[in-house]
Amino acid sequence: MVDLLFYVAAALCVLCALGVVVSANPVQSVLMLLGSFVGISLIYLLAGFQFLAAIQILVYGGAIMVLFLFVVMLLNQGDPAVLASEQGLLSKAQLAGGLAVAGSALALLLAAVVRTEIPRPIFGYLWPEGGLDPLVGMAQAMFGPYVLAFEGASVLLLTTAVGVMTLAKRQRSKPSVKAAPLSSTTEGSA
Amino acid sequence: MNVPSEHLLILAAILFAIGLGGFLLRRNVIVVLMSIELMLNAANIVFLAGARQHASESGHWLPDGPVMVTFVIAVAAVEAAVGLALVIALFRRKQTVSLDQLSPTSD
Repeated sequence: MVDLLFYVAAALCVLCALGVVVSANPVQSVLMLLGSFVGISLIYLLAGFQFLAAIQILVYGGAIMVLFLFVVMLLNQGDPAVLASEQGLLSKAQLAGGLAVAGSALALLLAAVVRTEIPRPIFGYLWPEGGLDPLVGMAQAMFGPYVLAFEGASVLLLTTAVGVMTLAKRQRSKPSVKAAPLSSTTEGSA
Repeated sequence: MNVPSEHLLILAAILFAIGLGGFLLRRNVIVVLMSIELMLNAANIVFLAGARQHASESGHWLPDGPVMVTFVIAVAAVEAAVGLALVIALFRRKQTVSLDQLSPTSD
């Protein structure tokens, strides 16, 4: 039963991921990506990683998806007129090349998985103790051997916050910047 | 769940390939960024499959896989934020998010 649920979640992931790539409307892409993340979170949950499943929903579903959706709305990407103007078909060669690269990557990865002998555990797959992922161990590792990476991540996040504000700020000093279509929409966020 | 690790890895491979295909084939920068998120998620699944496999073979959990996943999620958040800020800045200058029209050779 639980195993069946895994395959349902995996199918949801793959179908939604295909939807992200295929759908012409970016708003649809964002929503499809959200579905894919929910499926992945479900897989984490089934594998016993409750904390990571919650993080996946909170950070990806809550923060990153809202960011994407916000930018899509800000740039008017769901507008049919914008969609029609920017929708050019890929040439045959481009399509074939992209599909060939993606397909060969898939073949390579699948071959690597299939040809590797992964031993089945004798007593079945373990759940973390108490059904929770090894939180204590995770915390100890994060502030033990990984403390440098942890601090690096916090510095990275701080740098990003400052950098994004600098990047997205409207440059008022330059009158040559043509920001006419955005001037009304960015007033509130600036 | 008693799903063998191979199936998790195969799922990760499929998600990665879809992400790679979107990254290469789509022209909308926002969709390209979303494809990168898909590829990062595929990597996360591999980390967790490895952690689970190791725990089931040796009998005790190593925290390294889950820790790596949290780092990957942090980096993915950073990447999305910076990428979307760049998209907004580019849109202000060029009024488009199409990669074809943004490429330096197009004008």
